[in-house]
Amino acid sequence: MPAANAVPGEVSIPEQDRDDVLLRRAAKGDEESFTLLYRRHQAPLYRFALRMTGNAWGAEEVVQDVFMTLMREPKKYDAARGPVGAYLFGIARNRVMKHLERLPRELSLEAHNGNGVGASEAAVNEFTPVHWAEQQERSQRVRAAVLELPAEFREAVVLCELEELSYEEAAQLSGCPIGTIRSRLHRGRALLMAKLEIFRDAPRRVSAAT
Amino acid sequence: MKCEEFEAIGLERSGLRMGELDAALRHAAAEHAAQCPNCAALQESWQEARIALQALRESTRDAETPQRVEMRLRHEFGMRHRTARARSAAIFAAWALAAAAVLFAGVSWWNWKLAQTQRADVSARNAVKTNALAPAPPATYASEEETLVADNEVGNFTLLPGSLPQDVDDSAIVRVGMQRGALSALGLPVNEERVSDWIQVDLLVGQDGLPKAVRLPQSQ
Repeated sequence: MPAANAVPGEVSIPEQDRDDVLLRRAAKGDEESFTLLYRRHQAPLYRFALRMTGNAWGAEEVVQDVFMTLMREPKKYDAARGPVGAYLFGIARNRVMKHLERLPRELSLEAHNGNGVGASEAAVNEFTPVHWAEQQERSQRVRAAVLELPAEFREAVVLCELEELSYEEAAQLSGCPIGTIRSRLHRGRALLMAKLEIFRDAPRRVSAAT
Repeated sequence: MKCEEFEAIGLERSGLRMGELDAALRHAAAEHAAQCPNCAALQESWQEARIALQALRESTRDAETPQRVEMRLRHEFGMRHRTARARSAAIFAAWALAAAAVLFAGVSWWNWKLAQTQRADVSARNAVKTNALAPAPPATYASEEETLVADNEVGNFTLLPGSLPQDVDDSAIVRVGMQRGALSALGLPVNEERVSDWIQVDLLVGQDGLPKAVRLPQSQ
């Protein structure tokens, strides 16, 4: 079916590998389908959770919760309301918010990606030590500044700046109007700038940040 | 362009990516930044922030959930579905066992009932044979199948074939239950439509233990 309607250039997914089909099979006890579904969606969910919570342990817990929910109540997914990925993201978002409510002051600066490897190390090997140190410091400061943002602004910054989603996509995932995302992003950016104290050489004029 | 406009555009229009602005706006912004050192510093700080965010994005770009999470989830999945399957199997087995028990009880009851009926038939047949052909000890005969009615009323009896009137002297009268069809074995005519009816019959049993005459009680 998908092959006939496929748009040129798009990757068509065979019927048996579609998320909703996999989910149906997983609900009937097919472990391979569940595993395939997990492997397909775990990484973006984990990255989102990691960028929102700032620690690998929290992100790991969020992803595990998401798939445990899917395992327990697969019938809660309604195909009419959107794809499985968006449904999972919605669960992840709720879990992240609960996590942030539970640990409001937790601001881990760990630079590990959860596999025990320094996340930035691999990406900066080609730089000089000085450059590497500068980038590490900058990355740490930005990470800390992002984590200090209020949750709703942080979510907008993470989705639009780090996940590089469009306003429309971010609004859809957050379940709010585009205008709300736009204004949250505006304020989030202003707060971020203020927290980074990048204006140290310039007069503070960002009214939104105060 | 004024400083406020510059700042608003910087934060609103793709925020930290001034390069994404359209040409006219970008030209105006660049012109303003060239004249205003504060806005130039602001623009520079935006660029720094953009680079910093990019670095943060890159540092987590390849992040993936640790393998142990997949293992935990698969284990849980297996446990959950194995438990569900075991529960279903147990429920099925319980129902199957209950059905088998009911079936066994039904079959047993049916067999018992059949055996009872057959036993009754055989008893009746034996009774008839005993009465008609094989002499049995009178005491046993009377105690099991017959009822001693009288021993001195011999009127209304019909002699059985082969019996002589003097044979009935000193005979005993016994009442037995038999099917009407059994009367034919005693040489009496029988209504074919009612051969399976159970009737009471008085038999005149001689000294030798053989029936000599028969009569139907008044109620028959």
